[in-house]
Amino acid sequence: MLIFAPIAAAAILLWPTYGYSSLTAERGDLAADTSLKGRIALAKWDSTHAEDMASARAGRLKLGLDLRGGTYLTLEVDVLKLIESSADPQAIDDVFKSVIDETRKATDNSDRDVLATFLENFRGKGKSLINYFQATPLTEEAVENKLRRDADEAVEQAQIVLSQRINKYNVSEVSIQKQGTRRLVIEMPDEQDTLQMRKLLSQTARLEFKRVMMDASMIKAMYGIDQAVRNLRLGVAATVVDTTAKDTASVAADTTMKDTSKVAADTSKKGPQDPYKGLSDAEKIRRIKADFPFTYMVFGSVAANEESQPQSFDLVGLKINNFKPEDLPKDGIFSFRIPAEKVDEFVSVLNDPRVRESMPASLDILLSATGNTTQKGAKPDFFEVYGVSREADLVGDVIQDAYPSFDNTNKPVVSMSMNDEGSEEWSKITGANIGKRIAIVLDDRVWSAPTVQNKIANGSSQISGAFSPEDATRLAVVLKAGALKAPVKIIEERVIGPSLGEDSINRGLTSSAISFALIIVFMLAYYSVGGAIADVALVMNGLLVVAGLAAFGGTLTLPGIAALILSTAMAVDANILIFERMREEMYAGKTLKTAVEQGFNRAWSAILDSNLTNIIGAIPLMIWGSGPIKGFAITLLVGAVVTLFTAVVVTRAMFQLIIMSGATTLNIGQKRTV
Amino acid sequence: MDLIRKTNIDFVTKRNTFLRVSILLSVLGTLAILLTQISGLGLPKLIEFGIDFTGGTETKVSFANTSIQAEEVRQALSSSKFGNPEIKSYGRPGDFLIRINETQDNASKVSADMVEELNAKFSNGGKNAVQLLGANNVGAKISSELAEDAAISLIAATLIILLYIAFRFEWAYGVSAIIALAHDVTMAFIISVLFNKLGILNLEISINSIAAYLTILGYSINDKVVVFDRIRENREKYRGMPLAELVNHSLNETLSRTIITGVSVLGALLVMVFLGGDVLEGFAFTMFVGIVVGTYSSIYVASAFLIWYTERVKHKNVGSVASTQA
Repeated sequence: MLIFAPIAAAAILLWPTYGYSSLTAERGDLAADTSLKGRIALAKWDSTHAEDMASARAGRLKLGLDLRGGTYLTLEVDVLKLIESSADPQAIDDVFKSVIDETRKATDNSDRDVLATFLENFRGKGKSLINYFQATPLTEEAVENKLRRDADEAVEQAQIVLSQRINKYNVSEVSIQKQGTRRLVIEMPDEQDTLQMRKLLSQTARLEFKRVMMDASMIKAMYGIDQAVRNLRLGVAATVVDTTAKDTASVAADTTMKDTSKVAADTSKKGPQDPYKGLSDAEKIRRIKADFPFTYMVFGSVAANEESQPQSFDLVGLKINNFKPEDLPKDGIFSFRIPAEKVDEFVSVLNDPRVRESMPASLDILLSATGNTTQKGAKPDFFEVYGVSREADLVGDVIQDAYPSFDNTNKPVVSMSMNDEGSEEWSKITGANIGKRIAIVLDDRVWSAPTVQNKIANGSSQISGAFSPEDATRLAVVLKAGALKAPVKIIEERVIGPSLGEDSINRGLTSSAISFALIIVFMLAYYSVGGAIADVALVMNGLLVVAGLAAFGGTLTLPGIAALILSTAMAVDANILIFERMREEMYAGKTLKTAVEQGFNRAWSAILDSNLTNIIGAIPLMIWGSGPIKGFAITLLVGAVVTLFTAVVVTRAMFQLIIMSGATTLNIGQKRTV
Repeated sequence: MDLIRKTNIDFVTKRNTFLRVSILLSVLGTLAILLTQISGLGLPKLIEFGIDFTGGTETKVSFANTSIQAEEVRQALSSSKFGNPEIKSYGRPGDFLIRINETQDNASKVSADMVEELNAKFSNGGKNAVQLLGANNVGAKISSELAEDAAISLIAATLIILLYIAFRFEWAYGVSAIIALAHDVTMAFIISVLFNKLGILNLEISINSIAAYLTILGYSINDKVVVFDRIRENREKYRGMPLAELVNHSLNETLSRTIITGVSVLGALLVMVFLGGDVLEGFAFTMFVGIVVGTYSSIYVASAFLIWYTERVKHKNVGSVASTQA
């Protein structure tokens, strides 16, 4: 039991790793075929295996970028640039510039607090901050506080902007993490185009206000997209077969055409009836996907007015039942949503320029930035779909400040103020749209779509809604992206080319495998049956360490391999300690049972102390060490714990099994004659 | 198989000579290497720090034509905007590491430009004469932090090991172990620096090589604990035996284990030195050296120091007892 439980556990933990690598290999074979046919096959494969890939990816052992290639970036908020850009451009003079220069020199190579250094340098000049910066109330202290707050929020803002942007470009597997208060670490695997990624990083965020246009005509537009996609697909199908076999091409095209026309004809004659009746479920889903390539993803609901109960509908059912969009309540409050797993497909359809051409020129269809969940803390289940005006009504540059606060009923709200020019525009827009909704859009994702309650004359607005204090904080950060460009600079960049990554992993794996095999053979040769037992323990040891790493979400890096070597060495050593002790006891004429018992008991203190020393030594490395050292320490820690277990529990259990089976002698490589 | 049966080698008689020579070698070697780092003396610097600790930009390229020499690469790049890059061959023939010891704002751009420039100069019409293997760009702030983190965590780990051994054994054992560890790391460091200078392997000091030194620490402490454990056990068994004799007996008893473990691990590392590729070979080499040194130091540094230290303390105690009586 003691032996099989860990093996089973290791197998379960490593299963995703195996699954992921075999799935990746399968996909790689398909991707190698770059012909049109190959690409279609790949797209098909991607859609059917998406879930398998995702779940395998989540549970697999991650390889560090040093072992598989990729790019690693550390970004730091350029607080000085932030200070510079938030100063009034007209007020900037030589004094201000010289303070900026001085501060840059002092802080470029050190870890000093940039804002504090700036303020210190500034004080020496005998000028006041209020000559350069805006704040309410306009006091020295308020300016200082605002600068501090901006600096603190800038990382958050950069993270929101960058992750949204990266997700939008469908570059999966990119991780963005906050490190400390001023830094972001971005890791991109594989052959991502670094230069393109840089472009994404260097673009400034675009915050816009757009009128929400959700009514029956939006539904029409979505059916229009279905039509456009169907046309495109037929076009593609025709070209594919054109290049290969002409005859089948026309046949294929013909049948598809006929099918759809038949559906249309049927419904027109017999009135509302399910055209997919009598089909198997799988076939039905396939047909619906083919006939409604866009709207099959979308679910809607409509309420006649704010008081009435919203009614749900799905767009496919609506069409099949021959409902005209016009039949829905004209001034109804519509909302649409798509399941979270359809986001990629949805966005890729909308990003196709040929599809966009088919949409009404004034309308844009956007997704909400954050998904909605039914359970708190869980992954998002669905995303809202918004119809908004394609042209921005107001651009976010006019925002001066935004901050979370509470209204008089103590509900969290976001307050926002605008400059004079913006306030004027804003008052016009809000005046013309009372009772309607205006979407806050950052880089083409909707963050919030509040309803205008009244005309806002002076630009200072309050956004309320059913959100938590955290949501309010985040929305404020998003709104500020319009005003502040959260400048980040790259302070560390590591690119490992795919060929280097592949080469290092191949050679690393081969040499590690040979080394391991060498030890296995050596143990077997030197300790005979005992060696075989040790080998089983060693293999299990290796599996458990790797499995343990996968389970804790660890990443295997080069220093991790060093730790793996060390922990294997310690596991080998533990077994050798035990065997040498057993031999000593055997030479002293003890029976097998006593020799085994004494061997384990005597070796135990050495094994325990040496592994504990390493465990204890690894802890400070884990706490204070930076990336690679930390990786080493975690692997070593897992390794030492596993060694204690396998060497003592597993090896011992196997010896005891042998003794229980009645053996009185055992070959552990000792000399026969003493 | 049983190659090493009961041995009775005398490890302790010449212990003080070995101890003195070992400590002297590691201290002098380290001092000599550090002396060359002082720029005022005009000596050639022996330690080569990777950009992890110096900051700067590093581009790794691979030429399809493996006969290209570093000098040609230098000339190709000298006229352009890349300043005065340092060019080093590494790994396979035709692979070069181009280093600029100044932080760039835009390293991937610099590296891409470099590859473009080299491609323009070396490809006669054909494309892809040069391939970008990788690029590193480390800002000054990061490099000083990496160095600081490495130092802090190493010192903390050493202290905690000292305390643990002092707690599980005795204070003298902890001190002996730490002295031996310092010896192992400095000796491995000295040998690595020399091999790097001779150009046999690329062994510059980087954040990854720190991991190799940590592995040496781990293995060495394991080795010391095994010997100490046997001394602890024998002290109960043979009460009244002089410490030197006790230590020698214990060293002999553990010798077979020391050699078998050492040989199997060294064999495994040797495979990596020869087959591990650019990434693992330097790593494995440093560990190999460290494990040889670590095994030696269990006997001639840790154990020898333990005897010397214990006897000295005992002498003092005897002395102080005598003085109180007087």
